[in-house]
Amino acid sequence: MQGRVNTFGLPKRGAADSEYEDACQVADDDTHGGDLRIVVADGASESMLARRWAWQLVTLFAMAVEDVSTLAGFSAAYQRAADTWEVEVAQYKQEREERNFPIQWYEEPGLAKGAYSTLLVADFRRGLDGQFVSWTAASIGDSCLFQVRDRELYSRFPIDSSEDFDNQPPLLNSHGTSPEVLDRYLTLADGELEPEDICFLATDALSAWFLKTFEAGGEPWRMLGVLDERAPDEFAELIGKLRDDGTIKDDDTTLVSVDFR
Amino acid sequence: MYSAEISRANPTCFVFLIDQSRSMEDRIGGEGGEQSKDDVVADAINRLLQELSIKCAKEEGVRDYFYVSVIGYGKSVGPALAGALAEKQLVALSEVAANPARLEDRVKKVSDGAGGLVDLAVKFPIWVDPIANGGTPMSQALALAQSIVSSWLKEHPDSFPPVVLNLTDGESTDGDPTGPAQALRELASTDGNVLLFNLHVSSDTSPAISFPDTDALLPNRYAKMLFDISSVLPNHMRTYALQQSFSVSSDTRGFVFNADVTSVVQFLDIGTRASDLR
Repeated sequence: MQGRVNTFGLPKRGAADSEYEDACQVADDDTHGGDLRIVVADGASESMLARRWAWQLVTLFAMAVEDVSTLAGFSAAYQRAADTWEVEVAQYKQEREERNFPIQWYEEPGLAKGAYSTLLVADFRRGLDGQFVSWTAASIGDSCLFQVRDRELYSRFPIDSSEDFDNQPPLLNSHGTSPEVLDRYLTLADGELEPEDICFLATDALSAWFLKTFEAGGEPWRMLGVLDERAPDEFAELIGKLRDDGTIKDDDTTLVSVDFR
Repeated sequence: MYSAEISRANPTCFVFLIDQSRSMEDRIGGEGGEQSKDDVVADAINRLLQELSIKCAKEEGVRDYFYVSVIGYGKSVGPALAGALAEKQLVALSEVAANPARLEDRVKKVSDGAGGLVDLAVKFPIWVDPIANGGTPMSQALALAQSIVSSWLKEHPDSFPPVVLNLTDGESTDGDPTGPAQALRELASTDGNVLLFNLHVSSDTSPAISFPDTDALLPNRYAKMLFDISSVLPNHMRTYALQQSFSVSSDTRGFVFNADVTSVVQFLDIGTRASDLR
């Protein structure tokens, strides 16, 4: 059983690609002993440098050698991201100076407050025979993982219902926090994988739509499962249509599908 | 209702009405009060515009989730921003942020991380200076707001409903503002009716009141009139008010008596909110 990964992303309407504040990384090399790690982050609209922070998180979590599906491992990787954030900010301020556009009064409070992002990390693990047999995941916030088996929604994590989405999810701040505080919000899950499974990781707008469609008796995985990253326009077309219908929030939208069939 | 996303593709409009009449020279809380009403109102509008700009600030500038109109009423009724934006009636928020009349150096108390407070030098933008001159043509001001909002709604019929915030001592001199206020509140986008909020600055020494659901504790007829013409807070705004430790009910109105009104900026949604894990 091999995992075929497709990744998709689309900024909110009227936004440039450079303003897209979701991020995702797929680590499928030997970093994790042949396991597959997928990290998805969603930078908060109401924070400065959210795009950079989301990328910082997914990059460092993708590279982390710890088991990030534990409090200790997650906390260590997060702390590493927070520790290097000041360098990022200093670099950004330097870039602005070089462009003769120094930091303005209205940016200073946001930079002092730090950047914010959700984070979802999932490890798909291989058994002794090299086949994928299980997954573990950790999350802060409202990016979700869905596992579909035999045309049924088999697992959902960390949010169970479309009613549970709002615009105040728990977020990772670039200043870091103590493991004790992190422990109150970090959610962990694990499960087995079967050869016919397909998993989806998505940021909040698509996740909310997925659950809402499912709750109404639909099979959202059918629409998402046929998408191929080699044809990104099909994803953009689908999301555009859902936005037109008003069935999905006009937000940065990220999807990663992992097909084990 | 009141669920339209506020975005650059679908911005909304924020109209501020500032009482600049002669009576605004009087002291808040009576003769012994520390500040005059015009000082308090100018400070409130400057802090509102500052908070709104900071809320919408991103790396490459302030995003135009809002278009802002600041109307003064006193000796005359019209645009009240000072500096480069003088005479402009409706301005993109990015323009507002980029063009304060001046930046003042102020000192802000911030946490020292060890339970104490330390002084921090900050830049405070000024767009509006205190003015107290002439009568109080509040009805005219509300009529002008109605005109601005009507034009906005023609261009943006699906926007989050425009918000009008009136900062005043309530002593209208051009008739009862109840009718013009009602006409303003009856305007609507597809997402709901226009929201009219009021900040009442008063010489009365009664305790400050924020977002009441009854006029029972309000000390005078001006306060009661302003309460009456204020919109009921929509559900999601009540939730945010509650999170900010205000006591709310389904009848809570967008009305504040001699209290800080900048919290209304936090009642507006422009996307995922940034708050720390605790």
